[in-house]
Amino acid sequence: MWLVTARDLQFRARRFIIAIAVTSLVFGIALAIDGMRRSVQHEIPAIVANFDADQWVTARGASGPFTTTRVIDAATADAVSDSPGVHEADAVVLSRTVSGSGDPADANLVGHVVGGLGAPPISEGHAARTSGEAVVSPGITVDVGDDLQVGGETFRVVGKTAGGRYYFGIPTVFVPLEDAQDIVFHGQDLAMGVAVKGHLDTPPPDMRVLDNSQVESDLRRPLAGGVQSLVVTAVLMWLIAAGIIGLIVYLSALERLRDFAVFKATGAPTRIIVGGLMLQSVIVSVLAAALAIPVSKLVGFGLPFPSKLGVQGLVQMLAIAVVVGLLASLAGVRNALTTDPAAAFGGN
Amino acid sequence: MPDIRIRNLTMEYSSGGYAVRPFDQFDLDLKTGDLALLLGASGCGKTTLLSMLASILTPTSGSIQVGDTEVTALKGADLSRYRRETVGVVFQAFNLIPSLTAKENLYVAMRNAGVGRAPAKKRAEELLEMVGLEHRMDHRPGKLSGGQQQRVSIARALALDPPLIVADEPTASLDYMQVDGVIRLLRELAAPGRVVVIATHDERLLPLADRVVELTPHRAEESRPPERVELAPGQTLFRQGDEGIMVYEVDSGRIDIIQEMADGTEQPLAVVEPGNYFGELAPMFGLRRSATARAAADLPTVVTGYTLRDFRARRSLSTDG
Repeated sequence: MWLVTARDLQFRARRFIIAIAVTSLVFGIALAIDGMRRSVQHEIPAIVANFDADQWVTARGASGPFTTTRVIDAATADAVSDSPGVHEADAVVLSRTVSGSGDPADANLVGHVVGGLGAPPISEGHAARTSGEAVVSPGITVDVGDDLQVGGETFRVVGKTAGGRYYFGIPTVFVPLEDAQDIVFHGQDLAMGVAVKGHLDTPPPDMRVLDNSQVESDLRRPLAGGVQSLVVTAVLMWLIAAGIIGLIVYLSALERLRDFAVFKATGAPTRIIVGGLMLQSVIVSVLAAALAIPVSKLVGFGLPFPSKLGVQGLVQMLAIAVVVGLLASLAGVRNALTTDPAAAFGGN
Repeated sequence: MPDIRIRNLTMEYSSGGYAVRPFDQFDLDLKTGDLALLLGASGCGKTTLLSMLASILTPTSGSIQVGDTEVTALKGADLSRYRRETVGVVFQAFNLIPSLTAKENLYVAMRNAGVGRAPAKKRAEELLEMVGLEHRMDHRPGKLSGGQQQRVSIARALALDPPLIVADEPTASLDYMQVDGVIRLLRELAAPGRVVVIATHDERLLPLADRVVELTPHRAEESRPPERVELAPGQTLFRQGDEGIMVYEVDSGRIDIIQEMADGTEQPLAVVEPGNYFGELAPMFGLRRSATARAAADLPTVVTGYTLRDFRARRSLSTDG
């Protein structure tokens, strides 16, 4: 089975190479899209973890600190921090804004207590130490030391952080809490919530306590439609890949009908005939998937935010490639199964 | 090695909607060591008989026994095993796998039958040496001449040393330069322990044969007196698929010419009145009857049958007169 399959791949090499090349492009796009989905899904726990909080306090009825429109008095953090079981509690401002001057771009705004919960880990430069300083995530193309317009205010970029994107890869500007309050609340001492380190048994009046998973779930909700679109698009790409491979294998099977008839007429077991076709299809699919890895990297350069592949993604893609290969072989297999061995007789 | 015993073999199939019956109660016996030639015009059933011997087609009725095996009863794995181990097939169009070399074509046939890698490789080389292709083992079929491909095909048929070799027009795709080696090879195959059955038009093979099986009816050129036949209403004179020797003229009554369809229905083709003739094509071209002739259902009919020679003489006289 291996020999016939390998030799047929060699014999029709040009056709299969074209099929592999085209399929790898489709696989690559699918892989990049799926990587975007992974990236989007990964950024949610990452941004929540950035706060190093165990619990969150928001206004009663608020959906969560990232999405709420119900704000609280920032001084609530003082009361919370005095509660038993709480090690640290800092008010946070979480909002959307724009950054840049000439051609402003969307950005997330995180206002945090200097040195407190929500201050991002620094990969370059240093953390914001005073009003007017900002730390930026990837996606904002400024250097440390540059000035940056955020929500109409000018900040000096003093540091960069390696993560921090959320809401579909939108970059984030981290500024001191008071600066964020200036931008969002015209200087009022308000906050979206309080990040809590430790365990708060009873929330303050008219407030609620959420754990990290509830906050992540709240943050994931507005992204669900977009993630679903990515999933559907990726699945469609896999199906297109299956169609391409299926077409090539089907055409090859059509050309090999007499071979199948001869195999049958000479008593070759059906499993060998069918297995050979399936194997051929899976080999083409897996080779295309392997080639899709560098293709997806190239495609990734054109995407608005990172595409995350990872080992899990590679394993998943390999499994999908095998399934795609098997599906793609079905039409050819049907041809092989229905070939009449009597077709081996007669002239050319 | 098995003798081959065919009894009451009838094969009927549909072709273009019509029922075709190339074999009707056909009998044949072949002994081990026989090289049998199946001769006959195109469409007379040579390849059909080979296919039935190879258990690729199943007859409508009758029995094919190869040794102790009733071939018509084989199913599933037994059928595959029979095709693999008992029959070697040499095809008219060679039918080598184009992507495989000559040696690999043999190797794969043996591997498919469960032969180990090393023995399969060794046997493939031995067989290709035997057919004189030791220098072409690693060539694909596209790089071999027709004669060389046919020798590879014969070697492949021998790969598992089957006791029955069937060859379908093995020289039809070869030019005269290539035929010689193939003919000698086929003769050598028919040795004690093996039966070789060859379907062919090629009369060059006739001297090789131990048995010649004519599947086309002989033309009735011999002298034979006219044959008066009285038919009761609805009685059949001859059936579609029968051998045809005589040409008939209607003396009285009426003959209905009917075509039997594959679905069992009948389609009227013509009505032959007194003074008119029918059934001339089968004896003229050595074909089987292409339709059934039956006396009209409502009246007795009398016809007279003539040999082709007498019929021609009679029509000539009639025209001259």
